[in-house]
Amino acid sequence: MTSNIRNFCIIAHIDHGKSTLADRLLQVTGTISEREMTEQVLDSMDIEREKGVTIKASAVHMDYTARDGKTYALNLIDTPGHVDFGYEVSRALNACESAVLVVDATQGIEAQTLANLYSAIDANLEIIPVINKVDLVSAVPDEVAEDISSLLGVPASSVIRVSAKAGTNVEAVLEAIVEKTPPPSGDEKAALQALVFDSHYDSYKGVIAYIRVVEGAIGATDTLRMMSTHFDLKPVEIGIFSPGMKPVKRLIAGEVGYIATGFKTVHECRVGDTITQSVNPSAAPLPGYLHPKPMVFAGIYPAEPDDYPELRDSLEKLQLNDASLTFSPETSQALGFGFRAGFLGLFHMEIIQERLEREYDLNMVFTAPTVEYEVQLRDGTTVVIDSPAALPEENQIVEVREPWMEIQVITPTDYYGPIMELVTKRRGIYKSQEYPAPHRVQLNYEIPLSEIIVDFFDELKSRTRGYASLDYQFIEYRMDKLQKLDILVNGDAVDALAAIVHQKDAFHKGQRMITKLKEIIPRQMFDVAIQASSGGRIISKAIVKAVRKDVLAKCYGGDISRKKKLLEKQKKGKKRLKMVGNVEIPQEAFMAILSLEDD
Amino acid sequence: MTITQPVSIYLHIPFCLKRCGYCDFTTFAGKDVFIPAYVEALCQEIKAVTGSINQKLAVHTIFFGGGTPSMLSLGQFGSILNILKVCFDLNWDVEISLEANPGTINLEYLKGLRELGFNRLSLGAQSTNEYELHLLGRIHTRQDIFSAFKAARIAGFSNLNVDLIYGLPGQKMNKWKKSLDEVVKLNPEHFSLYALSIEKGTPFGVLVKRGLMELPDPDRAADMYEWASEELDKTGYQQYEISNWAKNRYECIHNLQYWRNQSYLGFGAGAHGFANGMRISNVARINDYISRNGKTSDLVNDRPIGKFPMSPATVSKTSLSNHKSMQETLMLGLRLTGEGVSSRAFYERFGEDLMMVFGKDIVELEKMNLVEWSGDSLRLTKRGRLLGNQVFIRFVD
Ligand SMILES: Nc1nc2c(ncn2[C@@H]2O[C@H](COP(=O)(O)OP(=O)(O)O)[C@@H](O)[C@H]2O)c(=O)[nH]1
Ligand code: SF4
Ligand SMILES: [Mg+2]
Repeated sequence: MTSNIRNFCIIAHIDHGKSTLADRLLQVTGTISEREMTEQVLDSMDIEREKGVTIKASAVHMDYTARDGKTYALNLIDTPGHVDFGYEVSRALNACESAVLVVDATQGIEAQTLANLYSAIDANLEIIPVINKVDLVSAVPDEVAEDISSLLGVPASSVIRVSAKAGTNVEAVLEAIVEKTPPPSGDEKAALQALVFDSHYDSYKGVIAYIRVVEGAIGATDTLRMMSTHFDLKPVEIGIFSPGMKPVKRLIAGEVGYIATGFKTVHECRVGDTITQSVNPSAAPLPGYLHPKPMVFAGIYPAEPDDYPELRDSLEKLQLNDASLTFSPETSQALGFGFRAGFLGLFHMEIIQERLEREYDLNMVFTAPTVEYEVQLRDGTTVVIDSPAALPEENQIVEVREPWMEIQVITPTDYYGPIMELVTKRRGIYKSQEYPAPHRVQLNYEIPLSEIIVDFFDELKSRTRGYASLDYQFIEYRMDKLQKLDILVNGDAVDALAAIVHQKDAFHKGQRMITKLKEIIPRQMFDVAIQASSGGRIISKAIVKAVRKDVLAKCYGGDISRKKKLLEKQKKGKKRLKMVGNVEIPQEAFMAILSLEDD
Repeated sequence: MTITQPVSIYLHIPFCLKRCGYCDFTTFAGKDVFIPAYVEALCQEIKAVTGSINQKLAVHTIFFGGGTPSMLSLGQFGSILNILKVCFDLNWDVEISLEANPGTINLEYLKGLRELGFNRLSLGAQSTNEYELHLLGRIHTRQDIFSAFKAARIAGFSNLNVDLIYGLPGQKMNKWKKSLDEVVKLNPEHFSLYALSIEKGTPFGVLVKRGLMELPDPDRAADMYEWASEELDKTGYQQYEISNWAKNRYECIHNLQYWRNQSYLGFGAGAHGFANGMRISNVARINDYISRNGKTSDLVNDRPIGKFPMSPATVSKTSLSNHKSMQETLMLGLRLTGEGVSSRAFYERFGEDLMMVFGKDIVELEKMNLVEWSGDSLRLTKRGRLLGNQVFIRFVD
């Protein structure tokens, strides 16, 4: 009965039209009616819609009657659209047999087109290339088809051309999925192996595991087991997404669906884990399970100390849904009680920041993101620090190691020079180059992670008029001449403003930091001295002069309310400032190090 | 409800010949044709409001502000004042002020004002520098100021105020000194000195936003303020409010009413009033104001217009809690640099001890050298006068 199942995903560089195509498929197969069609059904979070990026994977079941007259069950598994979520992408790919590769007819092949394509090939998927946005006047589908042809070794004429937006030729995509996707193999009678490729938290049914049954079958009343933790569970319900959750009695090898586990946090049911039966379990889990490790760290502090418990609750709630978010309590002299949080990347951090602000209405201070350093001490021990303030005294340190990444930048050949310059300035090392398509060069570098979390992507975009795209992977920790850059406000070092920088950048960054802070810190009732110090020297200093005049002059014919509103606004603005000692510092100061580049 | 203290009356005249570059008052240029209807509406509003209270209120100040009130004819003032006489108890020594643009008045007009009972004139001079007047977008010349002043004296005004603005973009100290010195020589009874502030949506605001005008330098404005304070002090004026100076006994009683947090009624488009524990404000557009007080106002007495002091033109009202009133008493009273806020008067008014309610903030402000005690009165220090907002924000939420 699995011969009519087709499990596939859509992969694309961001904005090439993955979500739009998915919506069209749902519509054409009648899975959702015109009326239900809000744009981009699969991207359900507000932030996803605004950022136009899928943050979490999701899955949907469609029935499609093909030209051969048979009805097929098509399972579309949507994958996260950002390199920060690479591991989740790879799990989702493992749940499919084919990948529809969408390429924008105006942009051509880009970094994540390739990165996703390589992952799909690694996962042994059949590739179904599609050129999208052929309706645009700037489309060059012939050229793009040639590029795809040489990349995949398929005839250019076999590449399907569509306009997902207009709905043109979308049937051809469905037909190709039916024809080219191998039906799932797998034995319904074998011991159960179900891959968890995503999960979300539901307050009634607990954690919902999104699964692909690889071998065996699941009955609604079976007792199941998480293979990495040996937790047993009685499903609250099992079912398929069509697109809402629809309970079924049985899920068999080859099928995609969900298990409502009743678990209280996603930590008990991690993406990548294998689910089996507790009676007659599978001998081994499916390969490739790992815990994605946070790479980027930042302090999160409530703007008002009273909000600390609320911040903790909100982080806990976010964590229910997001196993890759980590946090632990941290105390800062400057900012008080807060948390050190770990993220998969800068984008992941932005998402969390926005969700805290929007969904939980919290006013917070985020400190500048940093990476994790390994510090080898004279006493023979090694400590791992994820906060600059925690760097031990210089005389105790033998060496400091930082994470290095390999990055791939894909760009039109014209921008070769500016990219080279940017990467070298940031301590990157050129490794090699490839020509994946005409007029495109892929530059491979190694570079410290700390150099790419600060404003690197924006710089890259601006140097290449938005054409370059980026992909990265962790390689290893490496030693370098790293030292602390301290910022002193009226003589006292402010822990939340400290940074770890390379020796050669210390002077420049210290100076820029002081210039920036002088702009950001408002004039106070007294002079405020700000200094940057590194390697035992004061690098730069400035004075924020005391304010002399701060008074509303006029009263418009007894308009007290207006005067009062202005004062209330001023007071509110003042409240958003952080008291560090007796100096009021705006929240943006703690992120200042992120935007030091001079233009 | 009975009101035992005399109240003040503010009448807003929202007409100007041309809008000045910095102005964000409720006023309109080129709408002169509506003046007669507007005056009629003002009279209707006065009747409506006084009709909603069964007490003839005692009034001790009347202030025509704008806009440019001196665009009204003598006849128009006459009819408004007549209505006021009917509706209020004016058997007092009433201060009747008019804001006048030096470009809109002559001797004959001023004599007429005197005959109608006006006894205080406030001249919007702003500067005696021709270039600055032009920059500000004023419709009058430097000479107009001197002529108007002289004519006002001849007409018999013995209580004259002059408004000046300092801290113009690029303005040098010597220019400011010259403006002030020249006016000091005229020997007015009262000065109002305002630092130019650039407001959003004004022509200046737009210029600054586009980078075509520099923001006034706040430190230079502070220098100008400090210099002017000393200068006026030397020449026989006493500062009694952050922006106001007067010769002995020539303080503007109408303005004191605001700062002392006492009742006033506001009539006209965009006017504000405070009485009966309520702050209210009127619709700002002239047409709306006229139609709300229109001929149908025969019905006003049947139409529930709300509680006193609300009128058919009222668009917002805020009732003040006791605590809010206490806060406002400080926020406003501390502007009075001489008398400040008396803790005895505070106790008499609210039945609560000033220090019990606001002690924590007051002590902190004292430590910051922003406020001080003078007898039983709390007031701004000299330093506090320029940093008033740091004090006032303690008394808002
Ligand atoms: N003109 C045109 N625009 C399209 C087409 N498909 C998608 N888009 C637009 O391209 C943008 C990105 O599409 P989206 O589906 O969100 O891309 P994703 O990031 O790959 O999911 C959106 O503004 C879409 O409306 C198409 O066929 N033609
Ligand atoms: S005269 Fe006064 S009210 Fe009229 S526009 Fe100029 S500043 Fe504004
Ligand atoms: Mg999308």
